[in-house]
Amino acid sequence: MARYGMALDYKSCINCKACESACKEENGILLGADNHRIWVGVNEIEGLFPDLSIGSSNFQPSQCQQCDNAPCQTVCPTNATYYDDNGVVRVNPDQCILCTYCMQACPYDARYVDDRTVTVDKCNFCSDTRLIHGETTTACQATCPTKVRIFGDLDDPESEISQVLRDREHYSLKAHLGTKPKLFYLT
Amino acid sequence: MNLSKLLPYNKHTVKSFFEFERTPLNIFMFLLSIGLFTFMLIGIVIYLLHGHHAYGVTRQHPWGLLIAMYVFFVVSSTGLCIMSSLGHVFNIKAFKIVGKRAIIGAIITITTGFVVIAFEIGHPVRMVIYNILTPGLTSAIWWMGTLYGLYLFFIIMEFFFLNNDNHKYSKIFGLAGLVVGLAAHSNLGAVFGFLVARPIANGVFFPLYFILSAMVTGSYLLFLIYGWRYKMKFPPEVKQSMTTLAQVLGLLLAILMFFEVWRALTAIYGLMPERGDIAIHMITSKNFLIGEVLLGMLIPFVIIVLSKGRAIKLMVYASMTGMVGIFFMRYDLVHDTQLAPMMPLKIREYSLPPGLVEYTPSPTEWMIAIGAIGLSFMMYYAADKFFDLDH
Ligand code: SF4
Ligand code: SF4
Ligand code: SF4
Repeated sequence: MARYGMALDYKSCINCKACESACKEENGILLGADNHRIWVGVNEIEGLFPDLSIGSSNFQPSQCQQCDNAPCQTVCPTNATYYDDNGVVRVNPDQCILCTYCMQACPYDARYVDDRTVTVDKCNFCSDTRLIHGETTTACQATCPTKVRIFGDLDDPESEISQVLRDREHYSLKAHLGTKPKLFYLT
Repeated sequence: MNLSKLLPYNKHTVKSFFEFERTPLNIFMFLLSIGLFTFMLIGIVIYLLHGHHAYGVTRQHPWGLLIAMYVFFVVSSTGLCIMSSLGHVFNIKAFKIVGKRAIIGAIITITTGFVVIAFEIGHPVRMVIYNILTPGLTSAIWWMGTLYGLYLFFIIMEFFFLNNDNHKYSKIFGLAGLVVGLAAHSNLGAVFGFLVARPIANGVFFPLYFILSAMVTGSYLLFLIYGWRYKMKFPPEVKQSMTTLAQVLGLLLAILMFFEVWRALTAIYGLMPERGDIAIHMITSKNFLIGEVLLGMLIPFVIIVLSKGRAIKLMVYASMTGMVGIFFMRYDLVHDTQLAPMMPLKIREYSLPPGLVEYTPSPTEWMIAIGAIGLSFMMYYAADKFFDLDH
């Protein structure tokens, strides 16, 4: 079994939102501002013309961090949120009671209420649509025109993601909370 | 077996059930209860038709007024249970008289709390099933819910035996109810205290504060229950007990204010992001200053101190402001926990408010939340009719 993670070469992101569209399409996400599994964070340019800080302007694509120590999982009263064999944090809609405690506990605002199942949902690394069929890509990664996303098995030392994490400096979001995210930002 | 032997109760016809002294106050309370309850029913119908879309809750603010109201009711219940146990579990003389009324109050308030939460949790039936089949033992909600269920069973048994004048068993169940109630209630504090993602709530404060504020709430409610029972004409022994209660309440309020001051200072000190800024926002809000501090703590406290606890009638009125203050405490606790946006970088994309997360309860939420008070009143009226709550 694999332990999937994603590395983001976020400085290449051009904020085209292809990943957002691809995710909606792939997973049938309903319309509406609250219904999103993936987003592109926008850092505004700082400073006044002509002294603009170019370095301050960047985009930070993000989604569920697939935490190895996921607060959303610990707080779930019915174990509806669980780690699957690939280390992906998943929600079993049959068990979810919609207490929304996980939305409260997730430090990344990665969860939303899916009105189709009336339960909480989130990015699942396309487990239902791709990983289950043996594919090792995700919709957001496959579509990205500037190849921001590198998806793969962290346990396999030969995988592209393992190599890039060995070669390049990277950081994770809110790592100080001890959530051990499996999303890595390459600097 | 004959029910009235097992559980002695007063028999009523429909007519005698609705008979009460037609004083203006009684009639007002009657209409108020019915009106509030109707409100609640309307709210529930709207919820059943539209689900959570009828509420003002959002992705960034998933918990709203109904959670606050649930907390409000279960804090009331635990508070009544703790205060009553002072008398009939711990044999403190001044609290002997409060036994039965407090316990029935505790049963009623927690039942109302459960009703409210049933319309907030998306799938309450599924909850009962999977709470047992796949218990999430690391979840404070699991412990809180399970222990509260157990607590309700114990206090019902306690009331049952009190009603049968079986003091041995009522004491045993009373003690069990108290211990489990305290555990459940501090777990409710931990539901917030365990949130590592939210520095303003994370930590030991809430589990402890919940117990303390439950005792304050219980005291206010006892004043209201007894003020209503004796229509402000207190017999001497009740007066004596109420004076002692006021003095205990004064002490509790002093400790509560002490807690609050240190909570605010430690939260603000160093201005740690998502804690210091939120705390400043919190303590400068009208909700906090007028609701929590003035109504919830200062007015009752000043009356107690100035009268040395003897102004009982005034305390009944002050307990009304007190309960309004307690409501603000619950609301703020839920709302302030969610003030800080979790991913500020999403600002532009999803038109998150640039500063703090906003939330306004929807009319449906108000109807269910405030209407539930009517449900409590009605249950209390019925209990008063069916059972002898004084002896
Ligand atoms: S990012 Fe949030 S939803 Fe995803 S695993 Fe971590 S805590 Fe859970
Ligand atoms: S909303 Fe569902 S997945 Fe989230 S904590 Fe509650 S039961 Fe678990
Ligand atoms: S991995 Fe799949 S589910 Fe997750 S954000 Fe990308 S497209 Fe959406």
